[in-house]
Amino acid sequence: MAQERKVGLLRRTSSSKKPLKEKVVLMYDEIFTKDDPAKTNPRFWDELFLMKVNLEYLEAKLESLDGDEVMLIKENLNSLFHHCVQALEEEHQIKVVNALQTLCALFRGVHQKNKSATGFDIINMLVGFDKAELRMKDLMESLDSLLCGDGSESLKSLCLKLLLCLVTVTDNISQNTLLEYVMINSIFEAILQILSDVSSRGQHGYDAVVLLALLVNYRKYESVNPYIVKLSIVDDEPTLDGMGMVVHHALTEYNRQYKDKDEERHGGFLSTLTNMVGSMFIADADEKLSVQTNEAILLALYEAVHLNRNFITVLAQSHPEMDMPTTPAPTVPTTPTTPLGTTPPSVDLMHNPELPLDPSMQTSNLLITFLKYSSIVMQDTKDEHRLNSARLCLIILACIAEDQYADAFLHDDNMNFRVNLHRMPMRHRKKAADKNVPCRPLVCAVLDLMVEFIVTHMMKEFPMDLYTRCVQIIHKLICYQKKCRIRLQYTWRELWSALINLLKFLLSNETTLLAKHNIFLLALQVVNLFNMFITYGDTFLPTPSSYDELYYEIVRMHQVFENLYCMVLRVSTNVGQWKEPASKVTHALVNVRAIINHFNPKIESYAAVNHISQLSEDQVLEVVRSNYDTLTLKLQDGLDQFERYSEQPRETAFFKELVRSISVNVRKNVSLNTLSQDVLLKEFSSIS
Amino acid sequence: MGDTELDLSPSQLEELQKSPSASSTSTTSSLSLPSSPSSGPRPFTSSSPSASDSLPASSPPLDVISEGVGELSLVIDTEVAKKACQEVLQKVKFLKVDSEPASTAVEPKLVNGTSHTDPSDGDSDGLEKPVKITEEEPSSGTVKSARRRQKNNTSKQSWLLRLFESKLFDISMAISYLYNSKEPGVQAYIGNRLFSFRNEDVDFYLPQLLNMYIHMDEEVGDAIKPYVVHRCRQSINFSLQCAWLLGAYSSDMHISTQRHSRGTKLRKLILSDELKPASQRARREVLQPPPEHSLSPSKRTHQRSKSDATVSISLSSNLKRTASNPKVESSQDEPVRLTPQREFIKSLMGIGKRLATLPTKEQKTQRLISELSLLNHKLPARVWLPTAAFDHHVVRVPHTQAVVLNSKDKAPYLIYVEVLECENFETSSVPVRIPETRIRSTRSVENLPDCGITPDQRASSFSTVPNYDNDDEAWSVDDIGELQVELPEIHTNSCDNISQFSVDSITSQESKEPIFIAAGDIRRRLSEQLAHTPTTFKKDPEDPSAVALKEPWQEKVRRIREGSPYGHLPNWRLLSVIVKCGDDLRQELLAFQVLKQLQSIWEQERVPLWIKPYKILVISSDSGMIEPVVNAVSIHQVKKQSQLSLLDYFLQEHGNYTTEAFLTAQRNFVQSCAGYCLICYLLQVKDRHNGNILLDSEGHIIHIDFGFILSSSPRNLGFETSAFKLTNEFVDVMGGQDGDMFNYYKMLMLQGLIAARKHMEKVIQIVEIMQQGSQLPCFHGSSTIRNLKERFHMSLTEEQLQVLVEQMVDGSMRSITTKLYDGFQYLTNGIM
Repeated sequence: MAQERKVGLLRRTSSSKKPLKEKVVLMYDEIFTKDDPAKTNPRFWDELFLMKVNLEYLEAKLESLDGDEVMLIKENLNSLFHHCVQALEEEHQIKVVNALQTLCALFRGVHQKNKSATGFDIINMLVGFDKAELRMKDLMESLDSLLCGDGSESLKSLCLKLLLCLVTVTDNISQNTLLEYVMINSIFEAILQILSDVSSRGQHGYDAVVLLALLVNYRKYESVNPYIVKLSIVDDEPTLDGMGMVVHHALTEYNRQYKDKDEERHGGFLSTLTNMVGSMFIADADEKLSVQTNEAILLALYEAVHLNRNFITVLAQSHPEMDMPTTPAPTVPTTPTTPLGTTPPSVDLMHNPELPLDPSMQTSNLLITFLKYSSIVMQDTKDEHRLNSARLCLIILACIAEDQYADAFLHDDNMNFRVNLHRMPMRHRKKAADKNVPCRPLVCAVLDLMVEFIVTHMMKEFPMDLYTRCVQIIHKLICYQKKCRIRLQYTWRELWSALINLLKFLLSNETTLLAKHNIFLLALQVVNLFNMFITYGDTFLPTPSSYDELYYEIVRMHQVFENLYCMVLRVSTNVGQWKEPASKVTHALVNVRAIINHFNPKIESYAAVNHISQLSEDQVLEVVRSNYDTLTLKLQDGLDQFERYSEQPRETAFFKELVRSISVNVRKNVSLNTLSQDVLLKEFSSIS
Repeated sequence: MGDTELDLSPSQLEELQKSPSASSTSTTSSLSLPSSPSSGPRPFTSSSPSASDSLPASSPPLDVISEGVGELSLVIDTEVAKKACQEVLQKVKFLKVDSEPASTAVEPKLVNGTSHTDPSDGDSDGLEKPVKITEEEPSSGTVKSARRRQKNNTSKQSWLLRLFESKLFDISMAISYLYNSKEPGVQAYIGNRLFSFRNEDVDFYLPQLLNMYIHMDEEVGDAIKPYVVHRCRQSINFSLQCAWLLGAYSSDMHISTQRHSRGTKLRKLILSDELKPASQRARREVLQPPPEHSLSPSKRTHQRSKSDATVSISLSSNLKRTASNPKVESSQDEPVRLTPQREFIKSLMGIGKRLATLPTKEQKTQRLISELSLLNHKLPARVWLPTAAFDHHVVRVPHTQAVVLNSKDKAPYLIYVEVLECENFETSSVPVRIPETRIRSTRSVENLPDCGITPDQRASSFSTVPNYDNDDEAWSVDDIGELQVELPEIHTNSCDNISQFSVDSITSQESKEPIFIAAGDIRRRLSEQLAHTPTTFKKDPEDPSAVALKEPWQEKVRRIREGSPYGHLPNWRLLSVIVKCGDDLRQELLAFQVLKQLQSIWEQERVPLWIKPYKILVISSDSGMIEPVVNAVSIHQVKKQSQLSLLDYFLQEHGNYTTEAFLTAQRNFVQSCAGYCLICYLLQVKDRHNGNILLDSEGHIIHIDFGFILSSSPRNLGFETSAFKLTNEFVDVMGGQDGDMFNYYKMLMLQGLIAARKHMEKVIQIVEIMQQGSQLPCFHGSSTIRNLKERFHMSLTEEQLQVLVEQMVDGSMRSITTKLYDGFQYLTNGIM
């Protein structure tokens, strides 16, 4: 249907040369004169809003005017705006619809033309300085009551669209001066109400959450944003849960689509064949786009996790797994490229307050879905969107790993789940069978995800930032385990070897990497992780033998550590910018080196005494076990302390950029939808 | 219904009289505190002497009436009371002379008057009273229909009345006469007499009373009903118990008769919530002011506690809209008494039903946890666990602690429930909800002390946000640092001296001297700490309950308390309950009653037998709840997890043969074993595999699952022919066949049997009444009661009994079938 409309739309614009004009267009033209249209026709405004809106024309007309021209017709524009706001209170719903759409066009038309104009000019042009405060207050109040009232759902949807449109008219949200009025006249409560109600959440939840995420980011770092304050103190569980459900649903939808695609890709001979044939016609880029990431929803998740401490409980709130093939309703188009405005396919699932009964249903929660989502997103970080998504995922995980309550349920022995993370197909390893994932505490899945990331991203375009975050997350989790003496049954060995391989990669690409990054910081973090295990292993390792294994792994890979030491020693003795960071690594390596220097001779002599050329693992472990007592380690400072995540000042640039790209994307998608409100009009015309 | 009204009228009348002045006392008496029943009527009797002085000869009838009227006198004055007394006295005389016309009108009032006679009051009157009452009572008792028989039976009845009025007459006898007597007068009298017993005493026989009400003739039912209705008015809990039991015990009737049966009608009446305390409405109007907490239970579920900061933000008017749903308003004025609790129970049962459809334990467990976490959203509320011994409100279900129990096709599960003890769950206010995350401290904006008091202040506080979570500050407010260390207190302390370094890291950056530690120490601590952790069971996804049940109760309470946002409250308690869905617990309830009865008999006779009756709540004929036995795991789990013989497990858990701990545990084992052997013999408890026998941390064994008792046995394969289960392992724990403890065991059995025999009637009665109208398998056949009686061996001398016990022990020990049955269970169910 969307397709059809698009076609129709195109035709309309191309045939606009025809001089035959609609009545509404004539009326628009009247507005764009200097005279007051109501002078000639006292019922002008009444009639205008009974007319079907011609958005294209109105927008185009506004665009075509330059600043001075606009100032000439300012009175009429202000009047139009004023009457739009007034019409929102009309009983006649068709008028309300038309007014909403007209407002949309006004906001956009004014902005598109006057990109250089300051925010104040725009306000003056649109509303008029003297009345701006009052008019905008009326507007926001009308929208608020429309959103919270018992009116038509389509009307509510249109209100949200208008708000989204208003919020995204500028690329940089903080430059949108009109939003000052949205700050003063908060619609936060209306958004919350939408999220707390099951049915409205199903229909408008997505838009509401995106709107909230954007509003929170308005002049975030410069001023008091009431949305931040309010979001941080919401403690109404149904509402928070509703928010979680919306995010959960969006992420689940993404996971499901990815999985379908993935299965298609690896779906056996026939599908491979069709795929091949298909790919001859479909461009490669197109395919990638089809599972585009959804940063808006991720941003909403981030803000909720970051700002609201009560939201953490929502993460663990269980829901039935929704990424089962729930036969999405074919009538609703759910192309992920246009996530806005499309009703989620399995709304009924979200409607159902009781968990549906399906024996094959796995219970899931937002955190599991998020981990799966992250595992997909992190697979490929080449394009910028995905890189941003992956970064945001890691930031969210860092926030979660710092939270005490989240840590408690991550490590809860009674909350075991199977989490099927997506793993990148790699040459040297088989695709792990999904079914064999054991049921474990959730923290294991987080660690798995981190290990997975570490081993799969050692490439030329080295994502240094992501690696740093990744290692920090592991560090935070281990700090918690040490503090609370939680002995996680986890195969730490995989982590150790992944970290050692990372060091190896850093070493072998030293020169290329050093040109862009401070590799010593990452190396220091990795070495300190080993120091955690070495000096505090007694507090969180699951078994004594796992401590032996740690030593075995270090001794086995001693070459890497020795090379690393040589390198950092070399750099630290030279004068240069890396002198200090490198010397920190040399100090951090003291225990690892002590271990290597202590055990290597012992192992060699054991081999010599027993005349064995190649020692088995058990034999090495035996040597390790019997020689602990003569080894002295140095306790290092601050190993179990970490810098807490803080958005300012380090991440501000990232978030500004992210919000900008989200704004652009949302604007693009919202425009398609506001134009296609014929359905809505039909609905109301039949009522009236 | 018409006749109900008539029956009720006096008690309603009385309620009305009572309520305005003495509402507080009437509520306390419904509290079922042991002291209250006597304290309730006492004021009236104290006022009565003044009245009785003027009427010297008529003390008994005055006493009879004194309560209803004497109460008035508290309000009005003694003169009026005297007059009233005389009036009633006149009526009684009138009744005696000319019983025909006045009987129906006055009788109920009189009957009701009797009801509240304080037994203690009767005692104080000593000898005189019973004699005198014989003149009065028979006439009043028999007015109704048995006037003809009266003349023949007067002498017999007067003796009966003597008994009824004596202090020996207890609830057990009352029930027995109610059941056995065909005399409507006697039945009616006992019906009234019920009012004078302590609530708890009658509550014990509630299944019997209700079963009689359902399945016996009209007269018995009429006698019981006023009492039940009266109690229902007083207590929500009693109402629900009655409704559930009525439903469950009506279920064996044919569907067509069931619908119109008395039991079903009464059940409907109770559930319709019409049986409110008559005074409630009036009282509520007076006490309207604090509607927030005390009154509407359903409202509470929607009420949200907002964080303090919310107030300061100017969203109050708007947020109200979101916080309170429209539904709330509608239910505000008319609180529903029974609904919250019924909904609570219903949702627990619903979970059980849904779990049963899931194939694996793992899925069941996950599902259980998620369902319970949803349930948590609706708590706290005016709901409670009926198995608990004190009044409370449920505030939270620690959902991650719940476990699915081992069962083949049903899904029974065990939940722990956090409650706050309160004075009275009906009137005390429901606790305010505390968000899950309240236990931790975070860096969220809310923590800023002056957040948003005025816009200006907010602005200033906001500019400090970036600084707030910067390096040094962040370390000092480290969440994790404030966490309680999960290890038990003692442990950290004992470790402190050796592993100071690993407990606390060195924070001082400027520590000049480098600190060295030996790798060997780290490794040693690791293995030591793992060795020192108390014997816990390994996690087994197929047996999730084993670990949960093995954890010592105190430990669990402490752990859950630490993790709970309500844990800091002084009246916080932890309860647990097993929810059974799809299982008929009526037999379990019967067994519980018999066990309880035997327990009190043994206590009375000072036989140190140990048994642990666990509470049963029958909700319907296929659902209910069980109070779990704490600190106990099944012998099957013990053996599977420890891979030891029972004796070796005892040695491991309690210490060597000669230690105090072992000897105590052994004695406990023997005493409990003897107790349960007798139970198993008397009740013919079958299906005795090791999964159904628990072992607690003190060495007691506890038999659970009384699904096969009396006339029923599993699949009738002819297994388990021995009197009870006594395996060699058990004998080994007792110290072998020649040991002193084994002799002690046999001696205990003999004493226990003799004591039980002495009070056989009390036991038989429980079972016999429940047989009425029952289709339960335990009553299969016609000889259930006869066989039960025979097992008490009334005819044998004590010497013969001793021989019998010896034989039974011998037979059970040598029993090949016990071993066979264990083997059979191992093969079919994997139970060791």
